[in-house]
Amino acid sequence: MAKVLVIDYEKCTGCRLCELVCSVKHEGVSNPARSRIKIVKWEMEGRYVPMSCQQCESAPCQAVCPVNALSRDETLNRVVVDYDTCIGCRMCVAVCPFGAMSFDVLAKRIIKCDLCDGAPLCADFCEVDAIQYVDASQQSTTKQVTAADKLSEIMQKVAQAISTV
Amino acid sequence: MSEETTSESVAKGRTYGAFRCLNCFERVTVPTRTKTHKCPHCGFEWRISWIAPDFPRIRGPVWDVNRRLAEEATAKEKDGRE
Amino acid sequence: MALNRQIAYIDLTTGDVKMKPIPIEIRKLFLGGRGLDMYLMYNHIEPGIDPLGPDNVVFVSAGILGGTLASASSRTHIGGKSPLTGFIGSANMGGFFAPELRWAGFDHIVIKGRAEKPSYLWINNGEIAIRDAGSIWGQTVHDTQQIIREELGDRDIKVLTIGLAGEKLVRFANVMTGMKDAGGRSGMGALLGSKNLKAIAVRGTMDIKIEHPEEALEYNRKIISQITSAKVSQTQGKLGTPFIWGATNTQGLIRVRNFQLNQLENADEVEPEALEELATGMAGCFGCQVHCRSKYIIPEGPYAGVYDEGPEYTSQGAFAGEPGCRSANTILVGNHLVNIYGLDNLETGSMIAWAMELYEKGILTIKDTDGLELRFGNDEALIEMVHRIAKRQGLGDILAEGPLRAAEKIGKDSIKYLIHVKGMSNLHSDERATPALALGIATGSRGADHLRSRPAIDLYHLPESVLRSIYSQPVPYDGPLSSDYHDYEGKPWQVRWQEMCYEAVDCLGICKYHTVFLGATLPSFEEWSELLYYNTGLELSPLDIWNVADRAYNIERLFNIREGMTREHDWLVDRYFDEPTKLGIPNIQGRTIDRDKFKRMIDEYYQHHGWDENGVPRPETLQKLGIENEPSHML
Repeated sequence: MAKVLVIDYEKCTGCRLCELVCSVKHEGVSNPARSRIKIVKWEMEGRYVPMSCQQCESAPCQAVCPVNALSRDETLNRVVVDYDTCIGCRMCVAVCPFGAMSFDVLAKRIIKCDLCDGAPLCADFCEVDAIQYVDASQQSTTKQVTAADKLSEIMQKVAQAISTV
Repeated sequence: MSEETTSESVAKGRTYGAFRCLNCFERVTVPTRTKTHKCPHCGFEWRISWIAPDFPRIRGPVWDVNRRLAEEATAKEKDGRE
Repeated sequence: MALNRQIAYIDLTTGDVKMKPIPIEIRKLFLGGRGLDMYLMYNHIEPGIDPLGPDNVVFVSAGILGGTLASASSRTHIGGKSPLTGFIGSANMGGFFAPELRWAGFDHIVIKGRAEKPSYLWINNGEIAIRDAGSIWGQTVHDTQQIIREELGDRDIKVLTIGLAGEKLVRFANVMTGMKDAGGRSGMGALLGSKNLKAIAVRGTMDIKIEHPEEALEYNRKIISQITSAKVSQTQGKLGTPFIWGATNTQGLIRVRNFQLNQLENADEVEPEALEELATGMAGCFGCQVHCRSKYIIPEGPYAGVYDEGPEYTSQGAFAGEPGCRSANTILVGNHLVNIYGLDNLETGSMIAWAMELYEKGILTIKDTDGLELRFGNDEALIEMVHRIAKRQGLGDILAEGPLRAAEKIGKDSIKYLIHVKGMSNLHSDERATPALALGIATGSRGADHLRSRPAIDLYHLPESVLRSIYSQPVPYDGPLSSDYHDYEGKPWQVRWQEMCYEAVDCLGICKYHTVFLGATLPSFEEWSELLYYNTGLELSPLDIWNVADRAYNIERLFNIREGMTREHDWLVDRYFDEPTKLGIPNIQGRTIDRDKFKRMIDEYYQHHGWDENGVPRPETLQKLGIENEPSHML
């Protein structure tokens, strides 16, 4: 089964190493403006949310592209850009609901997450596992376990509180 | 990069499941999740916290025990000198 | 390439802005960050000027590896003549400012003159503008950053700013960025305040070319595993820097009630594990895996519900150990206040603890404190004094002048109770049982300080073989080394080595927690040489990097000597020699520093540096390092 990038923003420490390794890997430079992933921050509240392409099954970018430069790669479960066809009109940037399609003003072209061809560096370098590359089927399982863990903890506390009344 | 770096050689001495007694500096192995532990070498007693299941650290002294031991030790040293 | 960042000279009096490339020859001599700042300071600051006058110069810089795959390459350096000591002013902070400065095209900013009205700098992709700071003058550190982002319409702008303390010229005011990143020590915030410069806002989207990207990524992976496998990093990632308390307070190595005791007994609520329970998570600086910044919400009192980050080990000392308080909430509130006012927590805590001792000894009275019972253990009085220092009200106005000036104003015997070196207060650490650590604070180029040369691993009783493998590289050393922290022998070399270690990473722009500071297995000169090559293409051997550090440290020494520093300034206050420690484990109790042995340590330390018996660099030392003709005015 194809893998997906799973982001758990609660684990993110906001260090932005993912942005750095992404721009180094793809462009050979340190420049978050050219990274395919971005940590959106509410610095004064301590909230950090990594944002990247969701590789949507029914992708608006793909639908809006006037020259069909975007297509679905089923092997890696991703949306890919054919740069020979792309005319750089930025319609995909306009429609992406996650802001995950961006326009690289230096290279003058569209950039989006390509899952590093099956070995995404952002997940690889994320020490706290805020970004993980896992089987699509596992995405909800992991969430279920975390949620169940929290829930049972609360239930136990309630049970204890009741028993001491 | 085939040669071993200083850090790699020093890291070989790393141990798990133990802490260094902060009084006598002997390494003390301690059962997982223990909350207080008496050093078998010097008798000082420590409150233990756990960074990971195999990684204990001294949180602080068992205050009354160690204060008494320290007072006894310093009194003895004073006697020795006099 | 990673090196084509510029230096900008800004004259606030005339509004002139000039930009220059940084010649590669100077890069090889000083790299960047603190090293190059020190070169610039020695060249641009005229001897004997008033630190708070328009002739002083502020230097803001990123390290040469800032923003690269060097791991924790986040550090910003701020330099200038210190308003606190009159010697080297030098502060260093983490966060995200330095990488952003580099993406905006600059490595070094030199700020001269004085703006006529409150101003701030806006640095954006190679362009620099001086803007009116009317909307932010008087605002807190946190609000200033938000207002600037809104004003300029970009939420990714990074801001370096001063708070009220800097505006009020508190001589130990910080330069700040983010929630709690503090360019602390030596009063760089007051220096900005004296120039009517409230903030520097930066935003950049320019490439920093990584010279060997594949290898840089691979080597970064190796460094990350080296760091995350170290037990000290794991501990720090869980408990933040307060973890140090577990070793120091447990043994009796901290200052309590100013300097009267050396352990805060039965204060379990302020232990790192207790503080961790109040944390809502951990955050990291740019590119760092250690994530040692606790996020928290103040639980009780008038500040309940306020979000902030920290508290660091220094805030534990400032708001618990030194004033003899035992409340976690007080630490969190105190930490929040120094963050929003932009105060040096360490200096603030020391000044208040000193005032408390003066109050209890009757040197200060309730009249001097305007009715405040300034006693040890009085949390409310402690917090109130933080406000008064930042606002320069009453006694706070006197304490805001820093140790020596305040002692002069208060008079009587007050100076006897000060814990300082070169007019700068010490960390809340007590070095009476540890001569190596005592030597470090006595000789630090910016005053009493633990981040200049502290051989902290000396406390670990490491086997001599381990010490040998660390301390005999990259410069051979076959002198004595001892695992016993009570010893005087061999320690001057450790201090000298750590000095080079910290100076080197300050030039590179890497965090000290990624060095042999608190962990013996963390990166050192060997690793930095590789990092430098993969990221920038510069080929410097570990020894070359040591020499860069040595060059920079000698320039600091020359600067200090030019400002009147003598051997007498490398010395501790009498209490270290005369008052034995009272608490802690038997090993620590009853300890003082021995004057004669300490004097010999200083002699040896000077010899290791190639300095004469007065601490002046010998001509051949300067020649060997190629700095015999400084100031050379190449930049």
